[in-house]
Amino acid sequence: MREDVFAALASPVRRQLLHLLLDGGSQPVGRLAERFDMARPSVSEHLKVLKDAGLVAESRHGRERHYRLEAAPLMEIRDWLTPYERFWRERLADLGTVLDDMEDRDDDNR
Amino acid sequence: MTTAEDLRAIHVDQFLAHPPAKVWRALTEPEHLNKWLMPGDFRPEVGHTFTFQGTPVEAAEFSGTVYCEVLEIEKERLIKLSWDDGSRLGWTVTWRLEPEGRGTRLFLDHEGFDPDDPRQQVSRKIMGGGWRSMHMRAIEKVLAEMG
Repeated sequence: MREDVFAALASPVRRQLLHLLLDGGSQPVGRLAERFDMARPSVSEHLKVLKDAGLVAESRHGRERHYRLEAAPLMEIRDWLTPYERFWRERLADLGTVLDDMEDRDDDNR
Repeated sequence: MTTAEDLRAIHVDQFLAHPPAKVWRALTEPEHLNKWLMPGDFRPEVGHTFTFQGTPVEAAEFSGTVYCEVLEIEKERLIKLSWDDGSRLGWTVTWRLEPEGRGTRLFLDHEGFDPDDPRQQVSRKIMGGGWRSMHMRAIEKVLAEMG
């Protein structure tokens, strides 16, 4: 995983920003900034770090900038942190499908 | 569950709408294992050593081959394997079957992760305080919606 993604995730403020975007979807800077006890420019600075790491993208809506999550680095984080957890969840889901396709035997229901 | 435990093991469970005897067949007969897990020459006998052949996964530092030994077998209840994917030592994988209603709940424990593994340490440092388990679900949800 990229160094700047690690650095971006190292800050509790930036993790909180990601959390807000995960929960609330695309949002203007103002709404995000309300949730922090810090000046709006500081929040913008943190968003810039997340943007530079590719974790969020920004778009203009009139005079406001909106931020949203980018999927690719999130997937990278997930795969990197919990590759095996994901592996097993997918395997167990496949097991369910295999069982549905398997023929029942008389002695299965004892 | 504490964070320290989180780092040492993965616990996943799934309800399967089939009786334990049938689930047991899916877990122990290579023709079925093949379809949901990986091709391998598994036999439900303690001491049997075998390999599973999978697809390499770079993110998991997984070479594609898993070397296993059957450590415990309790028919229709439990299978415990040593699980060596070539990158780390000391992993075990346990499947436990419990009847639930007309079906089976299958518990999977993948244990033996080393909390001192550099990757685990970095993970703990940046993801501390339950961030990982809480947010993984949210990430999954967002990714599912993104398609």
